[in-house]
Amino acid sequence: MAAAARVVAARRPWHVRARRWARANLFSSGWNTLLTAVTLAVGGYITFALLRFVLVSADWGVIEANRRLIFLGRFPQGEEWRVWPPLWAFLLLAGASYGLWGRLRPRDAVVFVLSSAFLYAFMVEGANALLLGIGLALAIGTWAASDALVRGSRYEELAKRITVGGWALLVPFLLFMLAGFGGVRSSLWGGLLLNVVVATVAMEAALVLGVLFALGRASSLPLVSRVSALYIEVIRGAPLIAWIFIGWFVLPAFLPPILGLQDIGLVLRAMLIFSFFEGAYIAEIVRGGLQSVPRGQVEAAHAVGLGAVRTMTLIVLPQALRNVIPALVGQLITLWKDTSLVAIIALTDAVGAAQAAIAQREFIGRQAEVLLFVAFLFWTVAFVMSRLSQQLERALGVGQR
Amino acid sequence: MTSTETRTEAADALTGEIIVCQDVEKWYGDFQALRGITTTVREGEVVVVFGPSGSGKSTFLRCLNRLEEHDAGRIVIDGIELNDDLRNLEKVRSEVGMVFQQFNLFPHLTVLRNIALAPQKVRRMPRRDAEALGRELLERVGIPEQADKFPGQLSGGQQQRVAIARALAMRPKIMLFDEPTSALDPEMIKEVLDVMHNLAESGMTMIVVTHEMGFAREVADRFLFFDEGLIVEEGTPEHFFTDAREGRTKLFLSQIL
Repeated sequence: MAAAARVVAARRPWHVRARRWARANLFSSGWNTLLTAVTLAVGGYITFALLRFVLVSADWGVIEANRRLIFLGRFPQGEEWRVWPPLWAFLLLAGASYGLWGRLRPRDAVVFVLSSAFLYAFMVEGANALLLGIGLALAIGTWAASDALVRGSRYEELAKRITVGGWALLVPFLLFMLAGFGGVRSSLWGGLLLNVVVATVAMEAALVLGVLFALGRASSLPLVSRVSALYIEVIRGAPLIAWIFIGWFVLPAFLPPILGLQDIGLVLRAMLIFSFFEGAYIAEIVRGGLQSVPRGQVEAAHAVGLGAVRTMTLIVLPQALRNVIPALVGQLITLWKDTSLVAIIALTDAVGAAQAAIAQREFIGRQAEVLLFVAFLFWTVAFVMSRLSQQLERALGVGQR
Repeated sequence: MTSTETRTEAADALTGEIIVCQDVEKWYGDFQALRGITTTVREGEVVVVFGPSGSGKSTFLRCLNRLEEHDAGRIVIDGIELNDDLRNLEKVRSEVGMVFQQFNLFPHLTVLRNIALAPQKVRRMPRRDAEALGRELLERVGIPEQADKFPGQLSGGQQQRVAIARALAMRPKIMLFDEPTSALDPEMIKEVLDVMHNLAESGMTMIVVTHEMGFAREVADRFLFFDEGLIVEEGTPEHFFTDAREGRTKLFLSQIL
């Protein structure tokens, strides 16, 4: 009886189902009806205003004129090619990872095509169009190859290892391409590139520091655990902006006058500050993860003969980190956006570039366009990070005990 | 010091005593969990430990592979004294396998990796050999087809059988079972007991904490009845079922049978 009723319900015409859905979800009570009306009105107005601005009233000339400034800052003319190999490497690794671990979903393909179309329509021209084309071809090529040929073959395990290794080397490679063989001084790095460099270096360093201090705080040696706790509490006791100013004015005075340490560049100082600041927060997140691993796991590892170090690295830490992926990625996204604070110590990151663009005489009154565009850039990266974390959670089977 | 050690080792070897406990005591703060346990287990013997909850039977078992450190007395496993010497600890732990009430499988590793991990890392066995050993042991516990699944995808009975295979992978001389069927649904208890039964018949030295008295009666060479941190009574299964001496033993048996 019940099964038959369900079959009938599923076959109702779509407009009947839509009406039922709306009644159940939008107008189930007087209060909900009011809420629906208000939400529709506010949401509709915001969408309309935004679309009208973006498509009609905005003058995007300011972005076109300042595109280079926003993406690269004062990066010297003729050295832009240094940015491409790391970008290609990124796209290549992304394609390989998607092919090896992911599953092609129509939505992802649509996003890929739309964003490529957007880049070609508004962002790149001339030689850059060709260079970006190489990158996109690499991404599609490695995706297709790893999905169709490698996956399921006996080379899958090897390919996965190489890909993981490649991701680990990506940031060093980026730094090498920018600064290596007669490269560009870090004081000339700027725009979104600067945000990316500072954020990626700080993310990796902060993860390492975070794990070390979390282990330190959980240590049974009183000195180690006290020092770790002290570090975490001191760092968290002051706002990030205070630490950035300290790095700007105070840090050089504390560094020993050897090896030219006192002259370290602003960019390096920013990297240090973000690493240690975020390291403290990540340490607390990881500590929570360590506590979430049941005591029985340690006992089982000991019982099969694993020592303390292997028990931690092979059994406890992988589970601890897996359990805190959402919090961890949240913290990394915060770090990504916080890198825009380097604008206050005279570095021209994307936000600094935006301020410079707004100040140009011919674009007076174009704040909205510039800020909206820069916000869009930050959002894009944060969105990609968030999607990646969801993929990672699924791949590692979070919630599957 | 060295000479006495050599002598006890020689003595143990002569009598085939693989576990020797002398006046073992364990304290948790003010509470004394073990109040002087003295017993020996011969090689190939199957000993079943039972008693009311809080009587110290789990604590006793956990002292034997030093998951808990005893506070007084001596424990000698296969000639190795359990003390603060870390090398002894490693040796003992790779000779003593343990199966827990809550399975404690590693949830982030496949069934096969759960089993192959320790031989590979502790015994330095090549990965290929360790995984071949893993498949062989899965065959032995009757679930070769589950090798590539994760523990969370298995039933409780299957998980416990993987846990037994994991412990066996280190080729231990002694297996400790801490209430291995207490967390299982009734219909899964038998599959685990069958595996343990086979293991006992293969000559493994086993100490089993359990209240599955039917199973215990079939496989055990000797029973130990624990109460309030002491061995109150010990003897053959027949002795316990026909003429148990102590009042506490009789009372407890009448409650669980």
